[in-house]
Amino acid sequence: MSSEAKKTPSYDPLLLGAVLALVGLGLVMVYSASAIMAQEKLNDSFYFLKRQAVAACIGLFVMAMAMKVGYRRVARYAYPLLILAVILLVMLLIPGVGSAANGAKRWIKFPGISIQPAEIAKMAWVIYLAYSMAKKREKVQSFSVGFVPHLAVCGVLVGLCMLQPDFGTSVGLLFLMFVMLFAGGAKLSYLVGSVLLALPFAYHAVASSPYRMQRIFGYLDPWANRKGSGYQVAESLMSIGSGGFTGLGLGDGRQKLFFLPEAHTDFIFSIIGEELGLLGVAALMLLYGVVIWRGIRASLGASEPFGTYLGLGITSLVAFQALVNMAVAMGLVPTKGLTLPFISYGGNSLIVLMGAAGLLLSISATAEGAKRRVRVARPARYEVPVGASEATA
Amino acid sequence: MRDLKHKARKVDAPTRWLRVRVWLMGAVFFAGLLAVFTRAVALQVHQNDRLREMARDQYIREVEIAARRGDIVDRVGAPLAQSVDVDSIWADPTELPDVKVSAKQLAKALNLDPKELRERFEKAKRFVWVKRQAKPEEVAKVKALALNGIGFSKEPRRFYPQRELAGHVVGIVGKEGKGLDGLELAFEEELSGQAGRREGFRDAKGRKLVTQRLDDDAPREGATLTLTLDNRIQYMAEKALARAVADAKATAGMAVVLDPKSGELLALANYPRLNPNTPNEAHAEAFRNRSVSDAFEPGSTFKAFVVAGALEEKAITESTLFDCEKGAWRVGRHTINDTHPQGILTPGKILQVSSNIGAAKIGQKLGREKLVDYYARFGFGDRPGLGLPGEAKGVVPFPKADISLATESFGQGLTASAVQIAAAYGALANDGVLMRPYLVSKVVDSDGVVVLENRPTELRRVVSARTAKSVVSMLEAVVEKEGTAPRARMDQYRVAGKTGTAQKVDPLVRGYSDKRIASFIGMVPAENPRAVVLVVIDEPKTDVYGGLVAAPAFKEIASAAMPYWGVVPSRPMAAAASGVESPKPLEPAKPSGPNPVLAAIASLDGVTENGISEGAVRVPDLSGKSARKAVTQLLATTLEPHLLGTGRVKSQQPRAGALVDKGTRVTLELAGQLH
Repeated sequence: MSSEAKKTPSYDPLLLGAVLALVGLGLVMVYSASAIMAQEKLNDSFYFLKRQAVAACIGLFVMAMAMKVGYRRVARYAYPLLILAVILLVMLLIPGVGSAANGAKRWIKFPGISIQPAEIAKMAWVIYLAYSMAKKREKVQSFSVGFVPHLAVCGVLVGLCMLQPDFGTSVGLLFLMFVMLFAGGAKLSYLVGSVLLALPFAYHAVASSPYRMQRIFGYLDPWANRKGSGYQVAESLMSIGSGGFTGLGLGDGRQKLFFLPEAHTDFIFSIIGEELGLLGVAALMLLYGVVIWRGIRASLGASEPFGTYLGLGITSLVAFQALVNMAVAMGLVPTKGLTLPFISYGGNSLIVLMGAAGLLLSISATAEGAKRRVRVARPARYEVPVGASEATA
Repeated sequence: MRDLKHKARKVDAPTRWLRVRVWLMGAVFFAGLLAVFTRAVALQVHQNDRLREMARDQYIREVEIAARRGDIVDRVGAPLAQSVDVDSIWADPTELPDVKVSAKQLAKALNLDPKELRERFEKAKRFVWVKRQAKPEEVAKVKALALNGIGFSKEPRRFYPQRELAGHVVGIVGKEGKGLDGLELAFEEELSGQAGRREGFRDAKGRKLVTQRLDDDAPREGATLTLTLDNRIQYMAEKALARAVADAKATAGMAVVLDPKSGELLALANYPRLNPNTPNEAHAEAFRNRSVSDAFEPGSTFKAFVVAGALEEKAITESTLFDCEKGAWRVGRHTINDTHPQGILTPGKILQVSSNIGAAKIGQKLGREKLVDYYARFGFGDRPGLGLPGEAKGVVPFPKADISLATESFGQGLTASAVQIAAAYGALANDGVLMRPYLVSKVVDSDGVVVLENRPTELRRVVSARTAKSVVSMLEAVVEKEGTAPRARMDQYRVAGKTGTAQKVDPLVRGYSDKRIASFIGMVPAENPRAVVLVVIDEPKTDVYGGLVAAPAFKEIASAAMPYWGVVPSRPMAAAASGVESPKPLEPAKPSGPNPVLAAIASLDGVTENGISEGAVRVPDLSGKSARKAVTQLLATTLEPHLLGTGRVKSQQPRAGALVDKGTRVTLELAGQLH
């Protein structure tokens, strides 16, 4: 038992491979999608590739650190991280600090780097929820202890995000909360009830302004307003559709020729679809499928509830962003402004996600050990499924 | 340890639920992936074509490059219709900086109505012509505006260098470059060639990124039409006709010159004339190609066919005598009159003085069936098949009544077109064999492949050579002093001909009016006719007789044509023709020196030796010339061009200066890029 614990932790190679493959594919696609635009605007076709490569290097370092340090130590930073996220989100609102992109304040600029509080907030939120779920355990079922406090913290974060405004992150935060509460055993009646309660307000918020109404439901028929609100989606559909089975070939996409805005960030999936075709899309699905499968597996095999919750949270974060981003690009859901995890250009997102992947890998490492031990311990059914390593320590 | 174990046992139930719920979430995500992938399949497999087409529409600018329309040239290669590249200006209104302002600026530069232009911009989606076939200075002005969303493209414009010359035959094209009339319409497919397509990628800002030329889609130049017309003869015919119409204060006229031995039409003239360069300025009356599309009552010119038929059928002989009834003969309730009352005449005399009563009596001898049969054998009632739009075929009704038999015998009560009459006289001139008249001798596509070639075609023997010769010799008397057309008589050449003065039907009163169609048809030289010339004057006002108003025009045309062809005079004039050997048709021409007639014409008209010699030509020096120029020059010297490669002429075979037969194929090797 002790000899096994001393062994170098065995990280899930499939998960690691899938993450690295996604990052690699991301670098290639960022270059392909941005080169012409970068040459045109910045006179350097490698501009975005270089920056993304630097972020990937930092991301690798952060990932390695996370794997080495292990997820357990992260638990104690749950509150500090949450407070940091709130501070950063508040800072965005201070005039002169927040830097706008497309009319929304998303960035805090420092010399050399800029920070995107939303990306940090999402991860901090996942860690906090995992910590909280693991700590409260069965109390999660109670309304006052399990439900209301999370709803309140979520309300603060979502409120701050909506002030930017950042609709996508807000929805993401809410989604993660529901996933974690669901997993933590919250009463389904609370979850369903809160959604039902929220619906009239959400409807009112949307329906009160015809502009927002059109913006949100415009995706249903992008062709009707091709030049206006439907423009991005229409261009994206044409882009993906023209890829066909095998795609136009890497670098040969036409839509990035300024037809498709945000081709290297939010709509990079469209370029993948156009240049690599259905085969490329299938490969991407496969990689995300591996991440989800191995993530869930790691989560289930975690040696303690915090690991299980954190694993689920990280997997959900990646899965939610990936699914929503692709669904947006293919006109299934309204435009959200979420990036494609590991692929889209954006240092903050990439570094945070790679760090998260590191944590997931560290969970997978303990899961391997735990699993083996569980198998051995099976005959004695109630023996040491949890906290085994702590016990040996 | 114990404590921990206790805890572990306690959380077991929630942990089991946790496992289930985590599994459930995993399943939800996989379901999400499946949904997204299904959507990708729908877009990329099922809607692939539609979406790709839509994307293509925005980044591909496909510009159709109109093919250069083929030329129409006369028998020696002189161009009657050519295409010249002209700039046209178009706009993509979605890319114009400001439709209102741009419309104003463009309207000012191009002298257009700004309001109308703006409306066109607002209506159009991505493409609208601003001005087609703009002048170079207008193009420069628009280029100076440097507006986004404005494009220029070369469009070939049809140009008729000879203006009115053979305008009706050549026809007209519309703004879109499609043939609307004449040969331009009849040979639209051959002339238009195949439009090419050029693709250019563009980005969302409308800038062209790459220009690709798809080799498969390069435009194919249209075919070249070579006509049997001779631009000089055509010119003479049009000039003479115009003068005759003016002299007679007539409303219209037509003239046809035909080679009776081959059936080639050498001239097809109509009045009023039409300048195909400016069809918009032409009067509606001027569009008709009368000599081809108008069937009219011909009058006495038909008497020759009746005599020929009757002689052939041995119903009469040259010496059969007919009582011409002193100018008035009752047929049933009708009376036939002669302008000049005659007594007892032979068939030759009847033709010479053009006695209606005499002709009617010959027709009677021939019989109804035979009369109609002979007219049909001479080609009447049948479309000549020149390929021109709206060719008339004329009507020869069966003469049931006696009076009909009588009038049809002198060319009333039936209709025919000028081309038909000329072709029928061609049969008399060609020893009784009717040749199929034709106008287009050759259609050669841009690769030098002969798409269509017309050769002289015998339609049928109408009468025996003996009969034909006999009728021709009778017709020679027509231009004698006692005949109806002494004005057609030529000093140097024997002329055989016939006048016609028909009453026109007045469609309003359904009877004959006092309007006339006067005509003269002649063949020259009578002993071996080289040309049949028909002149028809519609509604002459001064005089109404063909011998007076049409014959002079015939003489004018014939007098110009005979020496132009170097035809040996039938009656050598003391000064002009002592001991002159003139070249016979289809024999290689000797150098022109010793032939005074040829020399005279060469100096008069500036015709080169190559242009007039009948058999042999010198190969011109084409080295360094553009393919187009070289081909034009070869066609002009009646040589057949054969091109290899593109660019300028690098070498030629046979060499420059070599004496070769007409129609010899000259192979040109081309190299290098144009410009």
